[in-house]
Amino acid sequence: MSLVVAGRIVPLSRALKVAPSETATFQGKVWIGDDGRIAAVTKGSAQGPAGFEAAPVADVDNDLVIPGFIDLHSHLAYATLPLWVEPGRTEPFPHHDIWPTRPTYAESVTWPAYAFIEATPVELLAYAEIRALIGGTTSIQGSPPSNRPLDGWLVRNIEDETLDGEVGRHQVLASTLTLKSEQLGERATRMRQGATFIYHCAEGRPGSIVQREYLATRTAGCLQRHLVAIHTNSVDPEAYKTWHEPGAIVWSPFSNLWLYGTTTDVPAAVTRGINLCVGSDWGPSGTRNVLGELKVASLVSEANGWGLTDFDLVKMITANPGDVLAQAWQRQAGRLQPGALGDVAVIAAKPKADPFKTILRATEADVRMVVVNGRPLYGTETLMKQAGARQTSEINLNGQLSGQSRRLALTRFDADAQPWSFGEVLKRLEEVRADPKVAIERARRLAFASIRSGGAPRLRLALDMPTGKVPVGGLPKNLTKIIVPPIQPLAHDSEFFASISSRGFHGGLLDGLADFYS
Amino acid sequence: MINLIRGRGADATLLRAQTGQLLSEFLFGTAPPAARARRGETGGEAGARIELAYVLDGGERLRIIDALVTVISGAYCHLPQKRAAYALDPVQALHLLRSRVAELSEGEFHLALTSIVLGLRDAHTRYSGPRAGQGAVATLPFLVEQYGSHDDPVFVVSKVAAPQLIRDPKFTAGVVLESWNSIPFARAVDLYSDRETGGRPDARRARALESLTFRALEGGPPPDEMLVDIGYRILPAETRREVRIPWRVVHPARADTSQRPGSRASRYIAADQAAEVVRRAKKMMFSGSVWQAERSGVAVARDKGWIKTWFQDALAARVIKDKTQGELGYLRIWSFDVDDDDAFIAEVIRLLDLLPETGLIVDLRGNPGGLIWAAERLLQLFTPNTVTPARFSVLATPLMRALARSPFNRMEFEAWLPSLEAAIATGEAYSQPLPLTDPAWCNDVGQRYSGPVACVVDPNTYSAGDLFAAGFVDNEIGPLICVGEGSGAGGANVWTHYDLREALVGTPFELEGLPADVGYTVAIRRALRSGAADGMPIEDLGVPGIPYEMTLDDLLHENRGLIAFCAGFLAGIPRTVLKVEVNGDTVAVTTSGLDELETYADGRPFEAVRKVGDGTWELPRPHARIIEFVGRRNGEICQRRKVGS
Repeated sequence: MSLVVAGRIVPLSRALKVAPSETATFQGKVWIGDDGRIAAVTKGSAQGPAGFEAAPVADVDNDLVIPGFIDLHSHLAYATLPLWVEPGRTEPFPHHDIWPTRPTYAESVTWPAYAFIEATPVELLAYAEIRALIGGTTSIQGSPPSNRPLDGWLVRNIEDETLDGEVGRHQVLASTLTLKSEQLGERATRMRQGATFIYHCAEGRPGSIVQREYLATRTAGCLQRHLVAIHTNSVDPEAYKTWHEPGAIVWSPFSNLWLYGTTTDVPAAVTRGINLCVGSDWGPSGTRNVLGELKVASLVSEANGWGLTDFDLVKMITANPGDVLAQAWQRQAGRLQPGALGDVAVIAAKPKADPFKTILRATEADVRMVVVNGRPLYGTETLMKQAGARQTSEINLNGQLSGQSRRLALTRFDADAQPWSFGEVLKRLEEVRADPKVAIERARRLAFASIRSGGAPRLRLALDMPTGKVPVGGLPKNLTKIIVPPIQPLAHDSEFFASISSRGFHGGLLDGLADFYS
Repeated sequence: MINLIRGRGADATLLRAQTGQLLSEFLFGTAPPAARARRGETGGEAGARIELAYVLDGGERLRIIDALVTVISGAYCHLPQKRAAYALDPVQALHLLRSRVAELSEGEFHLALTSIVLGLRDAHTRYSGPRAGQGAVATLPFLVEQYGSHDDPVFVVSKVAAPQLIRDPKFTAGVVLESWNSIPFARAVDLYSDRETGGRPDARRARALESLTFRALEGGPPPDEMLVDIGYRILPAETRREVRIPWRVVHPARADTSQRPGSRASRYIAADQAAEVVRRAKKMMFSGSVWQAERSGVAVARDKGWIKTWFQDALAARVIKDKTQGELGYLRIWSFDVDDDDAFIAEVIRLLDLLPETGLIVDLRGNPGGLIWAAERLLQLFTPNTVTPARFSVLATPLMRALARSPFNRMEFEAWLPSLEAAIATGEAYSQPLPLTDPAWCNDVGQRYSGPVACVVDPNTYSAGDLFAAGFVDNEIGPLICVGEGSGAGGANVWTHYDLREALVGTPFELEGLPADVGYTVAIRRALRSGAADGMPIEDLGVPGIPYEMTLDDLLHENRGLIAFCAGFLAGIPRTVLKVEVNGDTVAVTTSGLDELETYADGRPFEAVRKVGDGTWELPRPHARIIEFVGRRNGEICQRRKVGS
């Protein structure tokens, strides 16, 4: 289905046919064809390409029409969980191998996440993707390992995306866990063949032992243009010089500060020509979407005097990760220009407002519409209607949108045409939360019955983070000991901000996040 | 004297389930040739009907062989041991079979495949072909037992099912068996035992004897003959008689308390599944009313004098009287095939509370195994010491590395992965051994029985039964009495094709589906003992103990000699008692034979060591989640009780 979105266009494009500069904005239209690609970006009332005569037009007036956000670092399996701290700990963790060994980690993180991933994987996935969607995200990294491809449903799952078969599977590889040299060598070869590799690397305090992980990637031949290194906050900035054909780094300042009290040396990386992107990381030590993480990036830049502009920051969740994906997919993302992916977010804005400052300060309430592959998936009732969205349901964000209603175009994972609602998703998650033991055991039995009968395997997802110190078999003997904490609201809320203060190792810096939402 | 026991063991009423169907009808849909001849039917031998049965094509046969090659070479945890012990190469044998797979008839193919797998002498690892009946058992309605030495055994009928199934009123329990299809009986048993699993000759003999008249059809070939001619004598001096008995096929079903497919427990099974279904069939045939009562949902006693239990398929308990020791407790554990080990252990605790504290015999003879957690966690009830469970390792092969690396198996196999990765450099054939029952779970309830305990096993005590026996010895709980040379010697965690297929999804070793009804089980994690036998495998070796030879007296009088033998060992163990009763703000502690009492609150000493004698002590109740009392005698810990607040 083709779609035209009219409004104040913020294309972030380097294509001169679209805009004279990356910072340019203008009143105009984005034309998205049936193939989900952008056919044209036009100014004012200029005529669009042929074939759009019957296309619905969503007119957002002065609101900003921007590339959908790209979150290059998350862990969807843990999206429902609240922020986690090890009780009584007073010192920041030295590196990523320490916090999973703490006594409360498995019961607070691994087991609740397992309950959902085992008992109700589709609903968990829906929850995590909807959470990304309402923050304007159209592509997200960190899909749980799955036994079936996850592309073509809601937001783009970066590791699984095939662009409707345009690119092969496994063009984007990822690893949360530290790989051995042999495995890194294999990744180096795959990158030389065109794959992109997103790798958690050297996550910890500067100078900690895990900085050798960066050295290992270099030794293995992984410091290539196609490498996307997550964190690298323990790395001596001088070491970036060894990345001769720089790739990208994904910066997750909230998580870094929460766990380690320090974060990636962004200016050093930028100086070496490394492409900087921002990622939201996960529930236990991250923000709820990359739009929230952008504000943390701003806070850190300001506190450290790094001088990152609003434009620089906005690029870190749009054009910069879009360029990373363009390498993998041979199709531009994160920029609005002909041939690029038809992934668009609409952000509320006052007339003539600074567009990048507006984006930086935008909250979930300001996200008016989100379009993925030309399909309007989320938005205000008016815009969704204008965009021709069908089979939508109201999504209740517990008053977080200041009384504005939103509609969600959600279909069931296994039955494309069957409408589904967030309320039903949440209901099932709450059922599992109420009795994880029964839900896990039932899911196991159904899975076995399916294998035994030779029927289609159910969707299986797996955890991608460390499991921690767990007994044999990974679970407590008595499954009733699995306590699933309350499912977190989709948007950043006052309880979230209240849970930040005086916890973690950010020294009060993250307290400022609440100001963006007040 | 033999006449005294005639008719023992069988319920009088014939259940429809006990009749089943004739083996010939089950296999070919027709009565055996002799029966048809009697009815005047001619022509059409049974063999002709085989042609109507489902026949695998060449592609399907290759699929089965390829799956077995993958699994046996990559996952079968006893492969190095079996190669050494029996000088065989099952993988090469499978490759050879593969090269001529299309040339073989259906029967030849399955016989060849079954022979390769049976050659491993491993009851965990079995192949079942497409015509094998899931849960079906071919039966002759009587049970054979032996007494005397291994070299000169006497075979007698120990039980006969409903008399309607045998048209010879003289053929009753107690008759001495002379021949089997005109083959001298001892020779027939030896010939059959050569086809049985079991590492030791005595284990093979015992298994052959057990399955001589009861054969699970899902784990092995059906009997060759449709009818059996049995030669017997009522008394040694009497005339030799002969009776012809047809094989029948019955379906004993599983008990409600047994492991449910796909449950969490299903990946922690150590059992001879064929022996388990045979055990069920025996129960159905010889204790029909108890078998029938399973679905009634009420606690049942297996017979007069036994205590009622909800776990009647796995447990039985009674008070027995010994001439010298007086009253003793007797706990029969038929099987560890349970789905809920917590409920199982709770029921054992309830039964123990009803038995005298003067001494206990735990009888595991014929226990084919079941849930590893149930067997290993049970040990703690009988000892004040910390129980160390067995550990399990997997083959260090590319397949097992891939399985352990798979994100879908992380929860279960992550702990094995570092040693599997290291094995590439170290050359170790196995991963690091790790427990399947977490040590904390083996000690979460603590001691519940005060008196001395002896355990009885035989070569049919298998797998989880072996693990219990090993734990009993290795944790120094009490004397282990063995009827035969040792326990059954099945030391592994066993998985099905479905378990492996699910675990290998997404790896380079992904398994295809097998043709309908074809399946296999495979030993995947190899058990190693703890304590003084630390690191010793159980497979093929079993757990030796104090040997005991069954006597005619045992067969005639419910193990009278065996019980007296066990009671003698119990008599030599000093008796101590510790009973704890929580009453509001106080705890009443009754001691006997102890001289010191220690009290711990949540693992910390609550008071100074208290000197005690025989009597009851009213102590203040510590405010703690777990209160623990430790009783010593001459410095040695003899009793321990945990009480939750």
